[in-house]
Amino acid sequence: MSEEKNIVSRRSVLKGAAVGGAALAAGSTLSAGTADAATRLKGSTVKWTTRGGGATGDAIAKAVNDAFTKKTGAKVVAQQVNSDDFQNNFAQIMQGSPDDAFGWMAGYRSNHFGEMGLLADLTREIGHLKANLPTAAIKGSTSPVSKKPYILPTTYYPWGLHYRKSMVKDIGMNPEKINNWDDFVKLMTLTQKKGLVGYSLGAKGGWEAMGTFDILNARINGYKYHIDLLNGRAKWTDARTKETFKYFAQLIPFMNDNVMDISWDGMRDLLLQKKTGAMMMGSWFANDFKAKSQADYDDLWVVPFPEINPKFGVDTIDAPLDGISVAANGKNVSGGKALAEFWASPEGIAQAVKAGDTNIYVSKSFDTSSYDAFNKQKLAVLAAAKNIMFFLDRDARGDFAGPIVGPAIQNFIKKPADINKILENMQAQWDALPKN
Amino acid sequence: MKLAATVQKKRSRRSLSKTDRFTLATFVGIPTLLQIILLWVPAVVTIILSFTYWNGIRLKDIQWAGIQNYKNIFVNNPLFYQALKNNAIWLAFFVVIATPLGILLAYQIDRGIKGHAFFESIYYLPVVLSLAVIGIIWNFMLQPGGFVQGLMGRDIGNAISIWGNPKINTWVILGIASWRHIGYIMLLYLSGLKSVDPALKEAAAIDGATDWEIFRKIILPTMQPVNIIIVVITLIESLRAFDLVYIIYGSPTIFPLLNLLVFQNFAGQGISMKGAAYAVILLLLCIVPIITYLRISFQEDIK
Repeated sequence: MSEEKNIVSRRSVLKGAAVGGAALAAGSTLSAGTADAATRLKGSTVKWTTRGGGATGDAIAKAVNDAFTKKTGAKVVAQQVNSDDFQNNFAQIMQGSPDDAFGWMAGYRSNHFGEMGLLADLTREIGHLKANLPTAAIKGSTSPVSKKPYILPTTYYPWGLHYRKSMVKDIGMNPEKINNWDDFVKLMTLTQKKGLVGYSLGAKGGWEAMGTFDILNARINGYKYHIDLLNGRAKWTDARTKETFKYFAQLIPFMNDNVMDISWDGMRDLLLQKKTGAMMMGSWFANDFKAKSQADYDDLWVVPFPEINPKFGVDTIDAPLDGISVAANGKNVSGGKALAEFWASPEGIAQAVKAGDTNIYVSKSFDTSSYDAFNKQKLAVLAAAKNIMFFLDRDARGDFAGPIVGPAIQNFIKKPADINKILENMQAQWDALPKN
Repeated sequence: MKLAATVQKKRSRRSLSKTDRFTLATFVGIPTLLQIILLWVPAVVTIILSFTYWNGIRLKDIQWAGIQNYKNIFVNNPLFYQALKNNAIWLAFFVVIATPLGILLAYQIDRGIKGHAFFESIYYLPVVLSLAVIGIIWNFMLQPGGFVQGLMGRDIGNAISIWGNPKINTWVILGIASWRHIGYIMLLYLSGLKSVDPALKEAAAIDGATDWEIFRKIILPTMQPVNIIIVVITLIESLRAFDLVYIIYGSPTIFPLLNLLVFQNFAGQGISMKGAAYAVILLLLCIVPIITYLRISFQEDIK
């Protein structure tokens, strides 16, 4: 499908921005084009949606939106919505009366809805921000079909193996040295021996387990095979896919008993309450650890998922790219575009970081020199990878990822012995999808 | 009496006055129009769409699919059969346990058993809450890290798996759904019972009929219109069960239901007309038994 051109081009240059680490010309303002926009904006109202994030999310939104209001005189009305609900009802919301601008995700989700005319074309805004954005980020935000960007890239984060340094020390291992599959199994085994969970997973939301599947498949069969599989060029019934699930099945005995009862926030809570050895997750939840206490945050650590097949090493990572999108049906589209551009600009980013945002920004203006240890480690995890995936439900088409792959993986976890039947079924359902 | 009857006949043969016609047109016409627009047109459109491929956004993307969506559901989706099973269990539970309990409660309350005011309120309380709210409450209490788990001394790490355990979750969900359904049925039946002539019951009691005989031979037949409503409601509520399970799980994998499958394929990023096909299947499953049942009941009536 058309997705592949997009994915193959999202290469290591994306991480280059963060790894470079040098503060570039800070304090660059929005380009001249928005000067007239500023006069037009004065007095108008722009509506903003914050996608999840709790109190920190609201604080960040307030800081950025207030700075925008100060700069342009436009009023911003902000609301926070539950992230999963917003995602699941996105098509309906966009066709109804959506807010003008909101945080969204690059990949299938912005490309598909943009091509359908529900997201505004942000070519001009990306043009204004081009100086500060790595080429790969711009490429990752652009639809390969219409060649237009429907999202302004802002942050990305690694999916990695998270654990608590104190717990690893307790079982006699070195938290700095969890490098290969044997170390990983040892960590889980020893943690389990202490009566805790070895590897926590919460599959209730349907997507959490995709993180484990993605990374196992990329480690065992390589990045190219994984992308081919998600786009129908490789088969789910292939022996290589079955191999991935064999490794997945090895993890199941280490998992918590209530995998189907908890979602990603349950996984986070298990780690927060020191009840689990390791978990595979995106690093966005680190803010929650910091909110609990600085000690908890300092205890948190992340490493690339260990190598399995020496042919591929740790060369691939899920690093979803997030950004700001504008609803085509919003009441104030031009206001929305201006607000989106502000959020993605160095000025807006500076405000967000000051308000407590710990995410990694792709912007070249982003200063990582003052990064704390955990964030430096996040950068290192990103840097270790040559190939970047956006996560299964952003790399595969929407009517396949959610309704078919999600339940299939959940069913596999419930009953690993059924794997052949499940894979045959997945392949049949892929074959039955309308292809155009 | 004969005079009144003749006057009555005369009145019905007289044609409707202008005001009558206008009243008829407004009070029957407008609701009918709304019904057609808001109910029938979307229903017919859904049925038509179930034979197409479409992602729900631009009209020009609609492609004809024939029966492919149905074939896909019947052949490729094991969740469909699990959902049918769960809906069937739901129906059986309601028919055998929940609805009869509601009827029994209504009957006893009507007879004025001790503490009937208490029973009325505790059984009616859940009916006042929407199923979504009930779902949120129970999800919060029974999930790992939740209130009930905490009472048992279990935290998130070693909590008893309730929602995820296929042996337990069916009965917990049905129990919660029944909690509401019993009160609902009880209320419907109570209002019907109030209209049964007490003289009938007294006469039967004097003649020596037992409680059960009174119920079966006098109350049940008199309550025929209410019985029809109760049967239809029990059937519909079991087949279209959704709110409770959606609030708890969000996705159909762990406890599939037909309506959850409709939602999964119609909402969010997974939009496909398989959702319409599921909806049509659900419609047929509801309508065919109901129409059959109504025809039988009304035929008896005519007899």
